[in-house]
Amino acid sequence: MEYFELAIGCIFINNILLAQFLGNCPFLGTSKKMETAVGMAMAVIFVLVLAGVITWVVDAYLLKAFDLEYLRTVSFILVIASLVQFVEMFLKKSIPALYAGLGIFLPLITTNCAVMGACLLNISKEYGFMKTLVSSFSYAVGFGLALILFAGVRERINLAKVPKPLQDTSIALVTAGVIALTFMSFKGMV
Amino acid sequence: MAQSLAKEFTKGLWAEIPPFRLVLGLCPVLAVTTKVENGLGMGIATTFVLVFSNLLVSLLRNIIPSKVRIACYIVIIATFVTIVELGMQALVYPLFLKLGIFIPLIVVNCIVLGRAEAFASKNGPVLAVADGLGIGIGFTLSLAALAAVRELLGAGTITIWNGVTIFEMGVNFQPFAFMVQAPGAFVALGLMLAGMNLIGKK
Amino acid sequence: MREMISMIVVLTVLTSVSGFLLSTVQSVTKEPIEIAILNIVQAPAIKEIFPEAENDPIAERFPIETENGPIKIFPAKLADGNTAIAFETKGKGGYGGDVGFMVGINLENDQIIATRVTTHSETPGFGARAKDDPEFVSQFAEKSMSDNLGLKSSGGSIDAMSGATVTSMAITLAVKEAQRLYKQLKPEILKQIK
Repeated sequence: MEYFELAIGCIFINNILLAQFLGNCPFLGTSKKMETAVGMAMAVIFVLVLAGVITWVVDAYLLKAFDLEYLRTVSFILVIASLVQFVEMFLKKSIPALYAGLGIFLPLITTNCAVMGACLLNISKEYGFMKTLVSSFSYAVGFGLALILFAGVRERINLAKVPKPLQDTSIALVTAGVIALTFMSFKGMV
Repeated sequence: MAQSLAKEFTKGLWAEIPPFRLVLGLCPVLAVTTKVENGLGMGIATTFVLVFSNLLVSLLRNIIPSKVRIACYIVIIATFVTIVELGMQALVYPLFLKLGIFIPLIVVNCIVLGRAEAFASKNGPVLAVADGLGIGIGFTLSLAALAAVRELLGAGTITIWNGVTIFEMGVNFQPFAFMVQAPGAFVALGLMLAGMNLIGKK
Repeated sequence: MREMISMIVVLTVLTSVSGFLLSTVQSVTKEPIEIAILNIVQAPAIKEIFPEAENDPIAERFPIETENGPIKIFPAKLADGNTAIAFETKGKGGYGGDVGFMVGINLENDQIIATRVTTHSETPGFGARAKDDPEFVSQFAEKSMSDNLGLKSSGGSIDAMSGATVTSMAITLAVKEAQRLYKQLKPEILKQIK
């Protein structure tokens, strides 16, 4: 039950894109087409779960154990960057079909602050291992959900007549605001 | 030389001002702009990292092997981010508390890595610093401007430094709370971008 | 092969220089950071909770071990001769994260003297009022440490701030944590003060 509440909280209430403002560059960059949005969402789920678990282990058994907490930023970003590289090489060699789908999104994930941000949030909230696993997965699902919803709306906007100065990024941001507003109504659910 | 220096510096202030012209580094832009002081603090911290990482990347550009260049840039940037993190805690602790997780996240701010890759790795140290400073100040101004709009409408004040309020709406002003909450950030940024397009298109 | 070696050498040198630089910066800033936390976060709250303390609670602070690491106890001598303490707890689940809360308790009668919000990242104009406008936190004054200090909606005796129920909830959680710790640590605290 506790894990269920945590998952709902991370997906809807503290949605990483719309409430915590993490990962907004890929949110705007890959949401023009449904296809890319789905690819990005899958890649983020895959990497974020791995990154969340690995950074938790690094933090608990290396940084905290040796009083090196000030190296957290450096070590986390290195872990994430090398993890992404490794995942890319692994997929290319062993699961080419999956690589064909996710490949181009993987390098973008290194600088996706949703991944780094979620890892830091897990640490700052002092989650244990299981909670880290659940929250990493849920944050990523929340990211995917918001991204895919947003891509759906954006595809429709392409067909609409938008005033010239508002075109492209501008109208996208206003739309994101409206979606964030609907997500706010989840507040108080848990 | 002097002319190109000035050009690299000023392009960050209007022609390529982030995040309006270069739509990068949006997360801190949206997250910390509930008060002008937070926006300014975040901007200054990012500028510091930008200038020094640009300088170092530019100095080392002939030594760093191209295959591991991104990893090297990340180490350089992360080092300066940690210095800013520790420095802010020691000097301006209240501000550090407000910016919280977004200080370590400068590391993944696409603007910083983007400038290292696109500019500093191809240019000399002097130009790289000018570029970092220009983009950094542009980023700070954008943050402050967005924060000013949001704080003024959302809370009825403009706070520039730890409790120093330079402007306050009259008692009859009803704060428009939507602006300081999450959705207001997206809408305010979107409308400001539209405003800039309107002026810039002429 | 040469390329490979240069890659490894450059990366190793870069990371070790970075590690060395950071450990220097860390050792230089360690003390200023501790002082900053004390001065900026805890000292103002202590001064408001014990405005007429006859000693210096901040200078006389001492640590006490709990299951989640040490917490700082600030002892104060009150004008009426009684002894009081204050310590800080965190209330989980505020609107923008945890809310830090300092609770001052009279050791003689287990009553709360005053309370203050220390750290928060709540929305300006809403939850942030708990810090700027002490009307809400003054409700805790003179309540006993064994009372139910939850919100009225959950059977307690505290009115939530209008428009900021989530923040109010987080603060009552901080108070409950303080009650739990106080019960557990009081014997140890009395020993240390005597």
